[in-house]
Amino acid sequence: MSNVSIKAEAAPRPRSGTSNRAIVGWVLHNVVWIWLAILVVFFGLFNSFFFTVFNFQNIMVQATVLGMLATAVALPLLVAEIDLSIPANLGFSSAVGALAVTDYGAPWWLGALFGIAVATAIGFFNGLCITRLRMVSLIQTLSMMIILQGALLALTQGKTITSLPEGYTWIGQATIDGWPIMPLVFVVALIFMAVLLRRTVLGRSIYAVGGNAAAANSAGIRVDRTKIVAFTIAGFLAGIGGFLLASWQMAITSNQGSSFLLYAIAAPIIGGVSVFGGRGNVVGVFGGVMLLTVIQVGLAIIAVPSFYVGMIGGVMIFIAVAIDAIRVRYFQ
Amino acid sequence: MQHMTVGNAGTADADILRIANLTKTYGRFSALKSVSLSVRRGSIHGLLGENGAGKSTLVGMISGQRQPTSGTITLNGIEVQGHDVKEMEKAGVFLVTQEPMIIDHMSVAENLLLGIWPRKGWLIDWKRLRRDAARMLQDTDIDPGQRAGTLDAVARRKLNILRAMFSGGRVVILDEPTASLDVEARQQLFAFMRRLKAEGVTFIFISHYNDEILEICDAVSVLRDGELAGGSDDVGEMTSDMLSELVLGRGLSLFQRQRRTFGADEAAIVVEGVRARNVAVDAFRIHPGEIVGFAGLPGAGAKEFARCLFGLVHAKDGTMRLEPNSPAVKLPGHPFEAYRRGIAFLSDDRRKDGLVGHLSIGANMSLSSLPALSRRGFVDVEAEREIISRYFAGMGVKAPNPEVAIDTLSGGNQQKVCLGRVLATEPKLLILDEPTRGIDVGVKQDVHRIIDELSGQGVAVIVVTTDSDEMIRLVDRVCVFSAGSIVGELTGEAISKDRLRQISG
Repeated sequence: MSNVSIKAEAAPRPRSGTSNRAIVGWVLHNVVWIWLAILVVFFGLFNSFFFTVFNFQNIMVQATVLGMLATAVALPLLVAEIDLSIPANLGFSSAVGALAVTDYGAPWWLGALFGIAVATAIGFFNGLCITRLRMVSLIQTLSMMIILQGALLALTQGKTITSLPEGYTWIGQATIDGWPIMPLVFVVALIFMAVLLRRTVLGRSIYAVGGNAAAANSAGIRVDRTKIVAFTIAGFLAGIGGFLLASWQMAITSNQGSSFLLYAIAAPIIGGVSVFGGRGNVVGVFGGVMLLTVIQVGLAIIAVPSFYVGMIGGVMIFIAVAIDAIRVRYFQ
Repeated sequence: MQHMTVGNAGTADADILRIANLTKTYGRFSALKSVSLSVRRGSIHGLLGENGAGKSTLVGMISGQRQPTSGTITLNGIEVQGHDVKEMEKAGVFLVTQEPMIIDHMSVAENLLLGIWPRKGWLIDWKRLRRDAARMLQDTDIDPGQRAGTLDAVARRKLNILRAMFSGGRVVILDEPTASLDVEARQQLFAFMRRLKAEGVTFIFISHYNDEILEICDAVSVLRDGELAGGSDDVGEMTSDMLSELVLGRGLSLFQRQRRTFGADEAAIVVEGVRARNVAVDAFRIHPGEIVGFAGLPGAGAKEFARCLFGLVHAKDGTMRLEPNSPAVKLPGHPFEAYRRGIAFLSDDRRKDGLVGHLSIGANMSLSSLPALSRRGFVDVEAEREIISRYFAGMGVKAPNPEVAIDTLSGGNQQKVCLGRVLATEPKLLILDEPTRGIDVGVKQDVHRIIDELSGQGVAVIVVTTDSDEMIRLVDRVCVFSAGSIVGELTGEAISKDRLRQISG
C-alpha cells in the first residue's frame, strides 16, 4: 500500500530519568502485591502463627467466597455498569436451593444446581432491565439487592437454615491431606474468567463495550447482548459462591451474604478494575481479594480488639485505593 | 517563499505579540526549535503544520500552559515572565480548544460568565448576569436563556470565543475551531471572527486546511518538525500548493483518481424504498469498484442514509440486494449484521464511535473482524496477530508497535487504525463518513490512495464528504441529497467545485 514518508507523528515521550520512571511504574503497577507482601510480613512478625500452613489454608478458604463474589462484581464493572445485588443474590439463591433440599426433599445436587440456576436467572434479569429497559444499573441493582435481602428474610422467616445434608456440605468440608478443596473452585473460576476475558470474542467485546460503547456498537459488537451476558455470568458466579458459603458454614442465615457487599465491590477495584469500565484483569481481582482477606484474617490473628477491626481494616483499604489513585495519575 | 518579516514591517506597536527564538525540549527531544514570529494587532494569523509539527507546543507556551526551555514571548511590548495560564488570561491571551468546555445543563448566559459571575456580596447578581450576556450575544442568533446543551456545534464554538472575549481576551488562540463543522457553520464562524477582528481582536488560527487559511487569515506561519518552515505576512501572495509544500517540505503530488464509468447492466448493489427519519430514498445503485460521493447540506439525508445502510440508524422500510441474483433483503438492523453481510462503515467522529481509546492499536484493529477470526467463540490468536501486523504495516501507522494504546497516536494515525479495522473485515460495500476530516494533508493523500486501491479490488465505496476537493479527486459519481432524497447525480466533468458549492449552499 501507499508509502508516503510522513514525519514521526506519535507524540514523543520525555526520555529523562527513564530507569527511575520504570521502577516507580513497576512499583505502582504491582502495588496490590507489594502491599500484600508488606502486610503478610507485618502480621507474621506480630504473631508467627500467621506463617503456618494451617493459617495459609484458612486464608485460602476465607478468600474463596469473597473471590467468587469479587470475580462476579468485576464483570459488570468491566462493561461500565455495576451490580450491587450480587452478594444478596448469593444469599437468596443459596437459600432457595437449600430449601428445595430440606423442605421439598430434592437431592442435594439438584438443590445446589437449582440455587445456581436461580442466581443466574437473577443476573440475566438485571441485564435485561439495564439494556432493554435502559434502567440505571446503580439504582436497578440497588433495588434488586433490597428485594433479594427482603425475600431471603421472608423465605427463612428470620430463622437460620441448618440440617443441610452431608452431600450438600461436602465441598465446604472435604480435605485432601488436610488441604481443603473448596479453594480449588475459586482457582477454577479465576482460570475460567482469565480465558473468557483474554481468549474469547465475548471477553474482547466486554473490554470494548466498557471502553467505549458507541465505538463498540459501530464496530459491529452487540453491546446489549454483551452486557446481558456479563450480568448473567456474574449471577452464575454468585450462585456458585452461595452454594460454597452455605456448604462451608453448614448454615444459611436470614441475612446470608449481606456482610460481603462492600468487600466484594472493594476487592476488584483495589485490584485495578476501573469503575468507568474497560480496564482490569483477573490477576488484579485475585490480588484485591487476597489483600482484603489477609487484612481480615491478620487483624483477627494479632488479636486486635474486635471494636477496632472494622476501622483498621477500612484504613488499610483506604491506603490501597489512595495508592491506586496515585498510580492512575502518574500514568496519565 | 519569504520568511517572517512581519516584525520589520511596522513599528513595535503594530505587533501585539512577538516571539523570539522560542525553544521547547523534552529530554533529548526538541518539540520546538528556536521559532521566531510576530503577530500583528487586529489580524488573523494562521498557524499551519502537520500533527506533531509543534503547533500545540507553540500555542501552549503562548497561552502559558507550558514553560519554554528558552526564548522570549513579548506581549504588548512587555516580555512575559512566569508563564502561567491565569497571568496570560489576565493579560488577555486565551486558548480556545477543540472541545468546547461547556456545561450542557446550564443556560448560555451562565456558561458565558462561568467563574466570573457578577456578584452581589456572596450572591450571584443574576440580573446583571443576564443583562451582560444579552449584550454580548446581541449580534448572534443565540438566546442567552437557552440551555447550552441545545446549541449546535458552531454556536458552541462561538460561545467559547465570546467567553474568552468576555474575560478580556485580546488575543484569542483557536485550536482547530472548524473541526467537525460543516461548510455553512464554518462560514458562520468565519463571519463571526471577521466581525470581532474589526473590533480589534487578534486571532491565532490553527488549521489543517489550506483553503481555510487562505480564506480567513491575514498572515500565516507554517511549522514543520518544530521549526518555522516559512510563512507570509500577506496571505494574498500564497497559494494552496505553496502552503502544502511548506507543510511537507517538498512538492506534493495530489492524488487524482482516474474516473470510471459503469454501465446500467453491470452487476450492482441495489437499494430500494428506504424510509427512515429524514430519509426517503427510492432507489440507489452502486457497482463493485465504484466510488460514489454523497453530497448535500447537513440534515439533507446523506449521512442518515449512509447510516441506514449500515444499521446504525433504524430504517422503517427498505431492501438491499448485494449480489445480482440474490433475493432482496431488509436493511441490516444492527452493525453486527451489516458486517456479516460485508458492509463496513467508518464514522466521522472517531473519538465518539470510532475507537476504544485505552485499548491497543491491535485490539482496535481486530475488533470488527473478531467473529471471522474466531472458532466457537475463541479468538484464533495467530490469525489475529497476522491480520493486525498486515494492516498495521499496510496502513503505515506511525507507532513503535501495535501494542501501543491508540490514545497516544495523532488524529491521522488513529484514522488509519480505524480504516484498518473496517478493511480487515474485507467488506464488499465500504461506507466512509468524512474519512479525512481533521487529518493533515499527507495522511489524507494516503487515505485517498488506499480507497482507490480498494475500488480496484472490486470494493464498492460510498464517501460522505463536505470537502469538495476530496469529492473531485476521489469519486466516480456524486449523489446529491436534499430533504432526505437523492435529487440528482453528477458524473465526469460535472463534478466541479462550482457545482458542489452550489449544492452545499
